[in-house]
Amino acid sequence: MRYLTELHVLIAGGGPAGLAAAIEAGKSGLNVLVVDEGIEPGGQLVKQTHKFFGNENFYASVRGFDIAKELLKEISNMKNVEILTESTVIGIYDKGVPVLHRENDEVELLKPERIILATGASEKFLQFENNDLPGVYGAGAVQTLMNQYGILPGENILMIGSGNIGLIVSYQLEQAGANVKAIVEAADRIGGYEVHARKAKRLGIPMLLKHTIKKALGGNKVEGAVITEVDENWQMIAGKEKEFVVDTICIAAGLTPSVELVSQAGGNIRYIPELGGYVPERDNDMRTTASNVFVAGDVSGIEEATTAMIEGKIAGLNAAKDLSRKIDEKKLGNLKSQIENFRSGPTSQKVRQGLQKLGFTLKSESFTKNSDDNIEKYEGKKRPVIECPEPIPCNPCETSCPVGAITVGESINSIPTINYEKCTGCGICVSKCPGLAIFMIQELLDSEKAIIGIPYEFLPLPQKDESVYVLSRDGEILETGKITQVTNFGNKTPVVYVKINRGYIKTARHIKPVSHSKNDYVCRCEEITVEDVEKAIDEGYTDFEELRRYLRIAMGPCGGRTCRLNTLKILSKKTGIPVEKLDPGNFRPPSVPTTFKAISEGSEKNE
Amino acid sequence: MNKASVVIIGGGIIGTSIAYHLCKNGITDIVLLEKDYLSAGSTGRCGGGIRQQWSERANVRLAMRSVELFQKYSEEIGLDIEYYQGGYLLLAFTDEGVELFESNVKLQQEEGLDVKLLTKKEIAEKFSFINTSGVKAAAFCSSDGHANPHLATMGYAKAAENLGANIMTRTKAIGIDVINNKIQGVNTDKGYIKTGLVINAAGGYSHEVGQMAGVDLPTESYRHQIFVTEPVEHIMDPLVISFENNFYIRQTKAGNFVMGQSDDDEKPSHNENPGWRFLIEMTTKMPKFFPFLKQMRVLRHWAGLYNMSPDALPIIDKSTTISDFYYAVGFSGHGFMLAPAVGEAMAEWIAYGKTRKVDISNLNIKRFAKGVTREKNVV
Repeated sequence: MRYLTELHVLIAGGGPAGLAAAIEAGKSGLNVLVVDEGIEPGGQLVKQTHKFFGNENFYASVRGFDIAKELLKEISNMKNVEILTESTVIGIYDKGVPVLHRENDEVELLKPERIILATGASEKFLQFENNDLPGVYGAGAVQTLMNQYGILPGENILMIGSGNIGLIVSYQLEQAGANVKAIVEAADRIGGYEVHARKAKRLGIPMLLKHTIKKALGGNKVEGAVITEVDENWQMIAGKEKEFVVDTICIAAGLTPSVELVSQAGGNIRYIPELGGYVPERDNDMRTTASNVFVAGDVSGIEEATTAMIEGKIAGLNAAKDLSRKIDEKKLGNLKSQIENFRSGPTSQKVRQGLQKLGFTLKSESFTKNSDDNIEKYEGKKRPVIECPEPIPCNPCETSCPVGAITVGESINSIPTINYEKCTGCGICVSKCPGLAIFMIQELLDSEKAIIGIPYEFLPLPQKDESVYVLSRDGEILETGKITQVTNFGNKTPVVYVKINRGYIKTARHIKPVSHSKNDYVCRCEEITVEDVEKAIDEGYTDFEELRRYLRIAMGPCGGRTCRLNTLKILSKKTGIPVEKLDPGNFRPPSVPTTFKAISEGSEKNE
Repeated sequence: MNKASVVIIGGGIIGTSIAYHLCKNGITDIVLLEKDYLSAGSTGRCGGGIRQQWSERANVRLAMRSVELFQKYSEEIGLDIEYYQGGYLLLAFTDEGVELFESNVKLQQEEGLDVKLLTKKEIAEKFSFINTSGVKAAAFCSSDGHANPHLATMGYAKAAENLGANIMTRTKAIGIDVINNKIQGVNTDKGYIKTGLVINAAGGYSHEVGQMAGVDLPTESYRHQIFVTEPVEHIMDPLVISFENNFYIRQTKAGNFVMGQSDDDEKPSHNENPGWRFLIEMTTKMPKFFPFLKQMRVLRHWAGLYNMSPDALPIIDKSTTISDFYYAVGFSGHGFMLAPAVGEAMAEWIAYGKTRKVDISNLNIKRFAKGVTREKNVV
């Protein structure tokens, strides 16, 4: 193989940083080898089902696994770049870089001219009683199981940690059908982006601030958890314990950079808590103190995938430049200013503090406030309401608006403003916003009703005319509304439009299906659910009496008083036959249950 | 125009069992016609008992083969039909009754059935829910039992459908087209189906379907009533019968008690309306034998048809005048329990020209020419 003879650049780690670095180094014509542990490359991207923030040049509003596909597709077109999967760089030695191929259990010593370490991070683990019980997972493992392999780790989950990962994984667990009982956060405020927190809150997940986990309960596996309140010094307060019945405890306590190889390569590392732990010393070309070794991504400080990709590109370009390849200096400069722009917002404050300790000076921006244009003035017009409360580096709403009605501006961290005069009500921004923070509203002026358009990422999508529960920002049921329209195009977020009472226009922010709960009984006597009936109809039982005989519907004490019509309506809905054309089945006497005694003794009096 | 190799008339347990067994033997080009919905007729209205204790040897054999097939049902068909082998307890209240059971048990034991006589003391010990005053003895077969007739019918129908049969519910046969004693097809309210072979499995309407082909079958239908109580905890394993006191009772898997009796005053008819006198007679009589019933409540009361033959045994044969007109009729209230073996035998007869597993030749229609020996174990 080529990489054994003339290897220019070895990249350890095939996540967003490593792949971005490989693309840039590869473009210069260098022979590049990416060594990745995974069965498939892509790092964390392959298990990330949410849409990314950022700007559209860097895959904003694209789902993580799709980003991985795009990066890998670009690499597959480069003959000089190879990816070695199921392989690990086991050290960096004086004689070269030994790589373990796990599949055939062989080590090969490679001699690259430059090394880019994009080894990412590992999960922080919490110490609490019984934390070795099966059922205690790291959030990364949960994402791997659930999103990569389609295995749900449990049914009832307690999430520890409210950073972006804790919030996102909670939301994904609910999407996959699990029940997240609570998100527990030791700090006095939510760690992750407000838009991610709002997505989880709309599902009705409680957020318990100033709480931490005390112990896991259970014999051979997790059967519950005890959490407790903490004081301002993060010490547990006795007597403030709460118990949860859960089968899974998911730890999302943050990440720490994987700097082992940096250190082995001779690079200096320093402990900088704001960046997640030990991080390499490096310059703004991503070069470590070991001159032939670059870093990129979470290994250089915990951030997120967009900055990881930018760092990867910077490292890749510099490795090429080192090896006397011609590179686009202007591009390198742009990347550097882009990443500075990204980090200029308030959500990057901690990262800025950490980088300052490493010797960088970084700008922090002041941001535009919400626009003066008043949404109330346009009553009756179909228009978006943008609920993007904190400055985060993200602007797909601006770039996707076909009429230029939304402005984020020069600084990508600014809060978007909207000009309702220009807005045509097309709703594209709703389907593009990675934070699901834009909704459509329209008051129906001839009635007390309104239509609200909600970005909705749950399957199955509701159908037009279906009745659904309308939920508040906290996941409380406000009312039942009817779906008027569902849009679902390509990679865009589906948007469901639901008719609601106008009074809920400022509070209704989510929906949930009415009929798919496990406990929606059609027949309470015999405990037959809507799902049971629908399944039987799908199996071909399309007569009321067949359903009765198959499921025991209407065979209980009520004699079908409550369930007969409900069953017929479900049958009508499923078959398209109007209720009046269906056979309502037999009505057997007695119409109320009557004792042997009453019947037999009654006869004697009458005779 | 639709056509099929075989048209079965009747979507009860007999018709669906024949359909399934034909498919299993490779004949899948079948249409089954049901004028209402599956198990709408006698099957869906029956008590669901499955017994092997008969006074006629051929009935015992057929019933024993059926039990073998019921035991394999859920595995073979993939549906739990609530089959429960809690036994059948036949109570004798008179010396004549005891004598009959003694000779029956001897005959049944010769056929290999696990049946025995129980003394009054044994009955009281084993089945404490029975008031044994007046009871002399009982015959008990532990491999008898009961199942859910609706589910059994639906299971056979779905299995047949999966193998290629066409199950047409809400489709009524209105005529059988015969030219020169050969069947040409069946007329239905949904159109004509061309076929050369018809099976009459029409239960309560077997005589009428016979007439469609010009065949006069010696069957007539009688109303039989039945009711079910509210469900309670399981206490009753066996189905309990008394011929002398004219009742049967069993507890379903869901916990309801199902019970009924026959009525000598009934005239042949297709009347399926429940009557008040039945309810009074049963609610008065049953608590005498089962005191716990007094406080229980009746939930549903209905009626179905017993399609009677002259000797209360089924008629399974083919017409001698009309070619390829088969019938499995006149089950006299015991079609459900015999259906698996009858379906199998009928399918083998049609597929191979003769039955393989069990002999049904004694159930031919010619037997009535020699005079009638009536099955005695009938409620």
